[in-house]
Amino acid sequence: MNRPIAANLEIRTTKDGDRIACRACGHPLAPAGDAWKRHAVLRELSMNGAGGKAYTGAQEALLRQFACPGCGVLLDSEMALPGEPFLDDIVRA
Amino acid sequence: MDPITFSIIRHRLFRVIDEAVITLKHVSGSAITNEGHDLMVSLYRADGSLLMGGVGFLHHLTSAAEACKAIIRRFKGQINEGDVYLLNDPYTAALHTSDIYLVAPIHHEGKLVAWSACFVHVYDIGAMNPGGFSPESQDIFTEGISSPGLKLVDRGELRQDVLDTLLNMVRSPEMVTLDIRSMIACNNVAKDRMLALIRKYGYATVDEACAVLIEQSEKLLRSRLAELPDGQWQSRQYMDVKGETAKVCLTMTKKGDRLIFDFSGSSPQSKYALNCTKWASLGGLFAPLFPLLCYDITWNEGVIRPITMIAPEGSIVNCTRPAPVSVATVGAIQSVNNAACATIGKMLAASEKYRTEATAVWHANHFAIFMFGTNQRGGLSIGILTETFAGAGGARTFADGVDVGGEIPNPISRMANVETMESTFPLRYLFRRRLPDSGGPGQFRGGLGMEIALTPHDAPDGGLHYVVSGKGAKYSMSEGLGGGYPGAPNRYVWVHNNEVADQRNIDPSFALSLEEMPGRTEDISWGVFPLMGKDALYVAWNGGGGFGDPLERDPEQVRIDVDGRFVTREAARKVYGVVTDAKGIVDLAATKALRQEMRFARMERRAAE
Ligand SMILES: [Zn+2]
Repeated sequence: MNRPIAANLEIRTTKDGDRIACRACGHPLAPAGDAWKRHAVLRELSMNGAGGKAYTGAQEALLRQFACPGCGVLLDSEMALPGEPFLDDIVRA
Repeated sequence: MDPITFSIIRHRLFRVIDEAVITLKHVSGSAITNEGHDLMVSLYRADGSLLMGGVGFLHHLTSAAEACKAIIRRFKGQINEGDVYLLNDPYTAALHTSDIYLVAPIHHEGKLVAWSACFVHVYDIGAMNPGGFSPESQDIFTEGISSPGLKLVDRGELRQDVLDTLLNMVRSPEMVTLDIRSMIACNNVAKDRMLALIRKYGYATVDEACAVLIEQSEKLLRSRLAELPDGQWQSRQYMDVKGETAKVCLTMTKKGDRLIFDFSGSSPQSKYALNCTKWASLGGLFAPLFPLLCYDITWNEGVIRPITMIAPEGSIVNCTRPAPVSVATVGAIQSVNNAACATIGKMLAASEKYRTEATAVWHANHFAIFMFGTNQRGGLSIGILTETFAGAGGARTFADGVDVGGEIPNPISRMANVETMESTFPLRYLFRRRLPDSGGPGQFRGGLGMEIALTPHDAPDGGLHYVVSGKGAKYSMSEGLGGGYPGAPNRYVWVHNNEVADQRNIDPSFALSLEEMPGRTEDISWGVFPLMGKDALYVAWNGGGGFGDPLERDPEQVRIDVDGRFVTREAARKVYGVVTDAKGIVDLAATKALRQEMRFARMERRAAE
């Protein structure tokens, strides 16, 4: 049974145990219950202009996009200043 | 207890509050109360614990409980039938000095059986800046009257000496007295209706129903929490004051039937007034929790029991006296609210059963601009631009956020008509409309915020002044969910037009956009500024957060967004990967190819570690 835990993430039962995986392509990212972001592909762009012309804020504010290494679908986004740790979301049970 | 009687009493308690809210609005004369609905009425048990949370600003439900408890402690043995107490000290219970609590004991046959409490943001509180939000204040002593508790009405008699003392320290005392009298009237109505309920069903029955109601809420929330997955979710909010960045960090942990909100890692308290006290933080996290987790559960003490808050002392979310806090409600409190909304949204989205209840963050940055000056009738006008309440909805897991949908912590907030504002202040609106691209992109996009431009009109002094505070314009604050982008940030622009207008005879009166306005533009975000002559003030405010991957959005929906000017053609291509032809029709093959190219580009980046 695959259980969705976010827009494009799910917990998938595999022969190696439960894994957090991409819902679009099934690419496994990390063991269930772990922080998964460091196994995704990270792209950082300036928030300024990121969503269109109304994004007039600071150049140094970053939009971090975490994409699936298997298919490129967006798994999560967060706003951060350079050097901030990732926001780690962990789903346990 | 008999379930029918229980249900009737429960509904009557709701109606007690409804009637009290109507009274508050009818007696108060200020737009922030009547139009913006910046108010709250709730009922409390004899010990001050929350019995029935009302509508209005939900940050106040728990703080007013603490206000009742503080009055009980301070006036032990002197609390009499017909008393009304005033409390507005943020270090005792209140959110900031402007939001005055009036709390009143309800006695039945000589016995204290309940409390009613309400607040409005009073017209003025005697702080260094008119209207209460004081970006220039450096400590609580410059933020106006601050009472940890005083008796305003003694056994049904207004203490005129006390009221006169308060009114002697504020601007526009005639408006402030109306605010205070509206709250006295509101408490009187709450008491009358509560006593009518007790007379009809008997004290013992009503008391039992109240106790059962609290137990029921606790049980219902605990079983809901037990159904949600265990885990930890994080959120981070940046605020900007004069180039200094402060942050609110939250780790929300859910285990079994409990929730812990831990704000460790948040910035030390600021020298600026955007700090908040611990009671305010507690209110801030409950404001989204009530509607998001307890939409079908009565908001009372039972809901508070499963929740724990950790807020480090001396931090921006639990500042120590005498730190300034006048901007708290649109500063740290709102960020606490946003962060809690973000983590609760993520937790709900992780549950198959509750994912449709999840939301990205709504309206995350009040601009809270207070105008003040001589009005067209020669009197003094002080008041908020009520558009600050016209926030944008966050996207849901199944639908876009509501454009200009309001905000989560105040389900009844709204903005006044342009005509109301123009009759209150010597101002003219050049435009007021939705702001394209302001909603956070996603499979479902965030709702749009707005943009307005104002210029003086018929002003005896040639214009007026305004206070701008809030959390700055550098950072997006309406966090997205599941990959969705945060909404656009706020923006405040002072258009200096006098010189240009004089030389070139250009009038800004018919400018249809910021770009069309003549004159030099200056981005501002904190302080007191003039709006004089032919200058203009342009304000744009944040959209809601988006949900999911924008490349997954239905291309036809993007076309509709472009046609309706919700999204620009540039953003449709650059952010959503949607290609349209010269007539605006979606080229599906080109869109598919472009989106695939954009996904590949994402994958070419280095791994995150
Ligand atoms: Zn994938």
